[in-house]
Amino acid sequence: MKVLKITPERCTGCLRCEIACSYVQVGAFQPAKSVIRVSPFEGHTSYAPYTCTQCAEGWCMTACPVGAITINAAGAKDVLDDRCVGCKLCTIACPYGTVFYDASTRKAFKCNLCGGDPACVHACPTAAIEYEEVATRDWLHDFAAERASHVLATNGGRR
Amino acid sequence: MPRRHLIIGGGTAGMNAMRTIREEEREPSEITLVSAEKPYSRMVLPYYLDRSIAEQHVFTTSAALLAQWKVKTHVGRRAAALDTKANVCTLDDGSKVEYDDCLIATGSSAVRAPVPGADGANVHSFWTLDECRGVIASVTPGSHVVMIGAGFISFTILNSILALGAKLTIVEVAPRILPRMIDDAGAEVIEEWLRAHGVTIRTNVKVTKIEDARGKKRVKFASGGDLVCDVVIMATGIKTNLEWLKDSGVRMNRGIIVDDHLRSNVPNVYAAGDVAEGRDLVSGQPALHAIEPTAQEHGRVVGANMAGKDVAYKGSLIINIVEVCHLDAASFGAWDDAKADTVVGAKRDRSAYRKYLFTGDRLTGAIIIGRSGDVWTTNDVGMLKGLVQTGVRLGRFKDYLKAHPFDVKTAYIASGTAGTLLPETVLGRPAKAPGETPVAV
Ligand SMILES: Cc1cc2nc3c(=O)[nH]c(=O)nc-3n(C[C@H](O)[C@H](O)[C@H](O)COP(=O)(O)OP(=O)(O)OC[C@H]3O[C@@H](n4cnc5c(N)ncnc54)[C@H](O)[C@@H]3O)c2cc1C
Ligand code: SF4
Ligand code: SF4
Repeated sequence: MKVLKITPERCTGCLRCEIACSYVQVGAFQPAKSVIRVSPFEGHTSYAPYTCTQCAEGWCMTACPVGAITINAAGAKDVLDDRCVGCKLCTIACPYGTVFYDASTRKAFKCNLCGGDPACVHACPTAAIEYEEVATRDWLHDFAAERASHVLATNGGRR
Repeated sequence: MPRRHLIIGGGTAGMNAMRTIREEEREPSEITLVSAEKPYSRMVLPYYLDRSIAEQHVFTTSAALLAQWKVKTHVGRRAAALDTKANVCTLDDGSKVEYDDCLIATGSSAVRAPVPGADGANVHSFWTLDECRGVIASVTPGSHVVMIGAGFISFTILNSILALGAKLTIVEVAPRILPRMIDDAGAEVIEEWLRAHGVTIRTNVKVTKIEDARGKKRVKFASGGDLVCDVVIMATGIKTNLEWLKDSGVRMNRGIIVDDHLRSNVPNVYAAGDVAEGRDLVSGQPALHAIEPTAQEHGRVVGANMAGKDVAYKGSLIINIVEVCHLDAASFGAWDDAKADTVVGAKRDRSAYRKYLFTGDRLTGAIIIGRSGDVWTTNDVGMLKGLVQTGVRLGRFKDYLKAHPFDVKTAYIASGTAGTLLPETVLGRPAKAPGETPVAV
């Protein structure tokens, strides 16, 4: 299946992916409602987008007590709004931390790959996010390890 | 002759097992379900209580769907005895069901504190759909509800009681709330928050009696200070539904003792969910969990094994999350391990609290409290689960997490947690979506 391939070194932290994502997901330009999250590293000196891996187990999906998470045509785990009761079990079951909860609608929401045409990919000006037929990987590991190590080396980890 | 599977209990574990049998089997088999209640999800009851969903929504299947799955049903019947030598289960109406293998998934029931008046009118438990209907019928806007017990179940229905327009008082015999889910400092943060949101909490009080008082209820305490109210809800604990197995030869401790395939000492008898004392992922020891994810995973593993696969189970992780008045509280794994190396982070002004418990350089337990609106809290909830679930070696990033308890993501990603998780599945294959009708052969 096609997955979001992330090249963290290319991310400039412009947040266009978050804005595009929130528009598709909740119909408003509201980064707080985006399901792809640009995270700061090393005290805001670098950034990387992070989102659902559409993992094989789908812990969110198997945890849902009412079967409100299914697999859509793009192969993404997708929350069915009219089934979701807002119990948050999926938010604690997803071991990647990529299920969100909308307090105003009392529903869970997450990346559904926009049904096969992810808006974040179009929005990203530097191709830090691509949509490709590749095996998904831990795209951010080395990037984050290097930056966390810098922080540890420069001030022993203290702020 | 096709293999005959008997599923006893159609709750979370039983339903997951039946679905997985149909997903995994290579030859057609017979499934018979004996269940005291129609299959539904108990943990969805709080959302029916405040009518944010219709009653229909709590059911996890229908007669039509079970027929499609080719399941023979005895719904409304209880298993009364199991003859493990003859492979026969006797039901409460005296009828008998023969099996080749069987799953015991009879769950738990609510237990009321043994005080006079505990079984009186307008005193309720909240564990089953019937009990939920009872509470719905008694609570009206303006009612005063006294909830006895400040444990997890009380907290799962707290929002609903308030949403019904009732006034709520919680009383607890322990010195603090949520004694089996959150540590002392975390409980203090939640208590403060609840008081600020109009919930009255009385800890350290022992109920001695519940009396009728001219159409109302009077709750009496050892220390005095009676409470007069309209409705009493007792959330004072649960017990496993296992009495009917006493002469069966199935070995039990607090629950049914099972191996890593969820088999009891009787090789063709499995147990799953609340009644199974299976491996705890963090301690490696047998434990009784009584949580939904454990029942789901147990059920799926049993289903696969019943269908002829050989699936060993790694163990289940204790995870609990509850939201009260827009404050989230969650705990993971060995959050109360006194021997662990511990770090605490707090932002009192935002009611945010973190506690991480390390064994060596692995995270083996965690507590997180934060406002539901804080997106990073939701993010961290999942990542902490990932860290405890994988037991990934944090190495030097343990120091990072200790120094920056509110920046879980950096330590999580830097330690390669996501990469460790990606190949991980419960059944050794990708999970199937719930809507897909399981393919029988
Ligand atoms: C109000 C409430 C809120 C909850 N919230 C959460 C939560 O937020 N997170 C969480 O992880 N867990 C939660 N739980 C706990 C969770 O619901 C249980 O752990 C889960 O249902 C256990 O599944 P099970 O299959 O073992 O048992 P159950 O789902 O209880 O199913 C047992 C089935 O067996 C049947 N049965 C019993 N005795 C017999 C018999 N002798 N013969 C035949 N059938 C029998 C019962 O009728 C029932 O159908 C909550 C529970 C309640 C009540
Ligand atoms: S939200 Fe989490 S559990 Fe669900 S598919 Fe994505 S990574 Fe997997
Ligand atoms: S919050 Fe919604 S989608 Fe998530 S587990 Fe609960 S009902 Fe299912």
